Amino acid sequence: MPIFPSFLFLTMRIKFLCFFLLFAGISALAQPKFTLSGYIKDAANGEALIGATIYIKSLATGATTNVYGFYSITIEPGNSDVTYSYIGFATQAKTLALTENVRIDIELQAEGKQLEEVVVNSTKDEQGVKAQEMSTNRLDVKTIIRIPAFLGEADVIKSLIQLPGVSTVGEGASGFNVRGGSVGQNLILLDEAAVYNSSHLLGFFSVFNPDAVKDIKLYKGAIPARFGGRLSSLLDVRMKEGNNKTYEVNGGVGTIFSRGAIEGPLFKGDGSFIVAGRRSYADILARPFVDVLKDGGALNFYDFTGKANYNINKRNTGRDKFFFDGNQGFSWGNNTGTVRWNKIFNDRLFANFSGIFSRYDYSLQFGENERDNFRWKSSIRNLTFKPSFSYFLNTNNEISFGAEANYYSFEPANAYGTSNGNRIDISLPEKYNLESAIYFANSQQLSSSISVEYGLRYSHFTSFGPGKQFIYNDTIPGRRRTVIGEKSFENGQATSTYHNLEPRFSIKAELSEVSSIKASYTRMVQYLHLISNTTASNPLDVWTPTSNNIKPELGDQWVVGYFRDFGKDKKFEFSAEAYYRSTQNQIDYIDGADLLINEFLEGDLLSGKGRAYGIEFYLQKKVGRFTGWAAYTLARTELKVNGINRGEWYAARFDQTHNLKLSGFYDLNKRWSASANFTFVSGTPSTFPTSRFVVQDILIPYNALESRNNVRLPAYHRLDVSFRLEGKTVKRNGQARKNSDYWVFGVYNLYGRKNPFSIYFTQGKDRVAQGSPINSEARQLSIIGTVVPSVSYNFKF
Amino acid sequence: MKHNSIVTLSIFSIALFLFSCDDVIHPALEKAEPVLVIDAWLNDSPGTQKIKLTRSQPYFESVLAQGVSAAAISVTDTNGKLYSFLETEPGLYVWAPIGNEVFGEVGLNYNLSVQVGSETFVSEARMGRAPVIDSITFFLVKGGQFADDQYQAEFWSTDPIEPGDSYWVKFFKNGKQQLKPSEIITAYDAGFSKGGNFNGVPFIAPIRRAINPFDEDKDGKTLSPYLVGDSVSVEIQSVTESGFNFLNQAVIQTNRPGGFGELFATPLANVDTNIINTNPTGSKVLGFFNVGAIKSLGRKFNSLDELSEN
Repeated sequence: MPIFPSFLFLTMRIKFLCFFLLFAGISALAQPKFTLSGYIKDAANGEALIGATIYIKSLATGATTNVYGFYSITIEPGNSDVTYSYIGFATQAKTLALTENVRIDIELQAEGKQLEEVVVNSTKDEQGVKAQEMSTNRLDVKTIIRIPAFLGEADVIKSLIQLPGVSTVGEGASGFNVRGGSVGQNLILLDEAAVYNSSHLLGFFSVFNPDAVKDIKLYKGAIPARFGGRLSSLLDVRMKEGNNKTYEVNGGVGTIFSRGAIEGPLFKGDGSFIVAGRRSYADILARPFVDVLKDGGALNFYDFTGKANYNINKRNTGRDKFFFDGNQGFSWGNNTGTVRWNKIFNDRLFANFSGIFSRYDYSLQFGENERDNFRWKSSIRNLTFKPSFSYFLNTNNEISFGAEANYYSFEPANAYGTSNGNRIDISLPEKYNLESAIYFANSQQLSSSISVEYGLRYSHFTSFGPGKQFIYNDTIPGRRRTVIGEKSFENGQATSTYHNLEPRFSIKAELSEVSSIKASYTRMVQYLHLISNTTASNPLDVWTPTSNNIKPELGDQWVVGYFRDFGKDKKFEFSAEAYYRSTQNQIDYIDGADLLINEFLEGDLLSGKGRAYGIEFYLQKKVGRFTGWAAYTLARTELKVNGINRGEWYAARFDQTHNLKLSGFYDLNKRWSASANFTFVSGTPSTFPTSRFVVQDILIPYNALESRNNVRLPAYHRLDVSFRLEGKTVKRNGQARKNSDYWVFGVYNLYGRKNPFSIYFTQGKDRVAQGSPINSEARQLSIIGTVVPSVSYNFKF
Repeated sequence: MKHNSIVTLSIFSIALFLFSCDDVIHPALEKAEPVLVIDAWLNDSPGTQKIKLTRSQPYFESVLAQGVSAAAISVTDTNGKLYSFLETEPGLYVWAPIGNEVFGEVGLNYNLSVQVGSETFVSEARMGRAPVIDSITFFLVKGGQFADDQYQAEFWSTDPIEPGDSYWVKFFKNGKQQLKPSEIITAYDAGFSKGGNFNGVPFIAPIRRAINPFDEDKDGKTLSPYLVGDSVSVEIQSVTESGFNFLNQAVIQTNRPGGFGELFATPLANVDTNIINTNPTGSKVLGFFNVGAIKSLGRKFNSLDELSEN
């Protein structure tokens, strides 16, 4: 292990101190006003409410709670009527005579059952006309659970794909693409800890257990300065803290896995805990039929999420296993842990300190016996320290500042192979890196209708020894580069360093009570790269750090948007956003690149430019018996890489011209409700050959025009429906039941369309004798080519 | 690293519970001019050496490509020795030995020159070494519901000590070369790739055991690659490093098992050639020039008593 560069921490601390002094100065000069602050929580279980609103009518001003449920507002002294509200919860009003700084913690009661079922896709004040933010979408768990899902398993990532600007290359593909970004350009945070692979069972399910998730928020643009590290998006997943009032058990039995969660109070309600787990049982069902699952064989995935919330501390672990016997197979898993400490220094200064551990590892092994086998393990370990501060300067300025230090150690291959008893260590050296950043941002109300948020993030990335650095020659574009020199580095010695300034800016102008326009500019920098040249990313894909040969990826995004509420009680919400993003140093691959256990991997990488632009329309109905949304995106994503497609721009594999998603939810009566979603997506690009030729009896396809992605696959469309039946709420004797339960009956791909995942070109399956003509054919693969019904049972007591 | 097989295998078993389907279709393709293809793989085995000249065809034209006639082809080695190739049938150019003469010598460089019309295409290759095959053995893998008992063959050979050798391993069942795309076996030293650093040891097990042809009966049951009475022979041919890359790229483009493997397929891309037109603005050329040494060994599977431990 290299020496941890503590000097960086030191400089950061000094900078903090400067920030502090600065704000202390400002606040001393400010007029005598008083601050009202506190937490807003759910009365039923003590969960912090994120994005709840406090509003002071007489001053026509308000604030929303942060991710910890904390709010702070500084106002003139005097009598004020204050309302606390959160959608789906009863509003509370208070009259306060403010003569000093006050801390008021509020617990809101959920509204009656009928309303509780109302789908809240996004809290109005957070995302719509009034909010400073743009290009964000929030999904709450109640919505996720109601979206008809593949095999009936509610899924966080698959739900995101119903939103505008979010797409996937196809069923079974892991991850998601945001506004033309690749899967590896999304930062996924689970309670602030980075998750490197969000998928179970390839990409059919995601690692987030809906029983333990409270809230997810996707930033597609205008990403606040406190976040950085990936080019295209940030998915912020927040786990429940656990019920601090009473014990609660949730669970479900589904087609693919069963799940359970238990939560309850700790220390007489001062703390709380939640533990949740899921496990698939494909292997248990398969065991009688598939005798390849011999001794020690496994074919399963599980995840386990635990969180104790006192001095908040949580842990999450998940693993996918595909083992045919004790010796052969592969597995991957994420472990994350977060220790978090919230501190209210005074009524205006809120701080959060997080210490985060994240580890992603995978292994692949095969070989029948000790004489001939292969073992490979690879991992990324990541330690993060992240102090962040919010300073509620006055009603017009909310300042945030902080820092982040990420220490990474990459183990690309801890591997050996044995051939007829000769064991060869083929491990690759570990790589050590430090990514650090400091940031500052201010959210400022310029006038009653115009507000801005501006910020700056300074990021820094260093690679450390011990290790070797390779120097490659520059040869023909698109061909493998060869090593012409190497340089060794000692423990702790910096091998390469990069730093970047990342400005962030957004502006909102309210045109009227019900409409606003917004614009933003964001620069993002990415120092870790997901190395994947396949259609869908796979669990063995490696992450590799920026080095002397791989430059950090840079992305600039400009967005303008129009937001409008209409209808009675503003029950419809509409938004249109246009974006343009340009990226530099995007990674691509030579043909025939060797990405796994390759010491000279960097010689197989190419670097190019990207551009993505599009317009997204979103219309949502949020209240009533019928709720739902329509999302339409018109977009284009292109890459330009020397050595691919004659060096000209070409459409990325996940480019989709039209992308339409409709989601609807309807309450039929007290017990039955129905959900449906419809997807229409233009065909993604694919490369087709023009010609064929034969060398040494090998039939080789050839594209005489040297094109990449020259053809579009047929369009993809699909309809899913599901029905939910609530269990009875009263017993036979008329007493109310303590437990509640419900059934979900679903059908995925209702009209059984064979949507193409890919079209590929191959020779016929029959054996061909030497010198005979070889039959060439095209085949279309549909991952899900049939109607898929499902049923699940869920309970809570 | 070839991880595809195990990934595909794993995915296949999951696919039992899923709902994929894979159909033959007939999409329209862009039109393209035919391009000259030079298939020049020469080796030091006794007898004639052949070079084939054809042109690329529209992708769905599943007939033998017509030969390109009236070319002038020669190969010269570093010592200035000239080998002339004469057209014996349309597009087929043959060098015939005189007496016990064999083509090529390990360690020498060879230059190819092909003149078609007014254009000249050239390439060069060095003949590398190939290790001796010590033996071939048979072993049994017990069958089950989806497969018969499998009698499989394994060849034993050790890669020489200094790194940087690459090979194409071909195998023949009852005298017939097995030519499915999944049966193209390549090795860099004793392993799969240059970066893998397997050197100077016996070929790793997945290579030694790759000499088994797998076929299914009409019910989808996997048949045994060999039965008592069958014979197998193995040929290790040295290839240049660019030849190794050529074969691997060809495998990526042609060995498409379909199904869930498509999730992890790379985009279709052209396979490189090592032949160039002396006029850089002249017409394009495809194909490959390789000169290799060959070592081979055969064995007949006479009885079950010959089985070795698995």
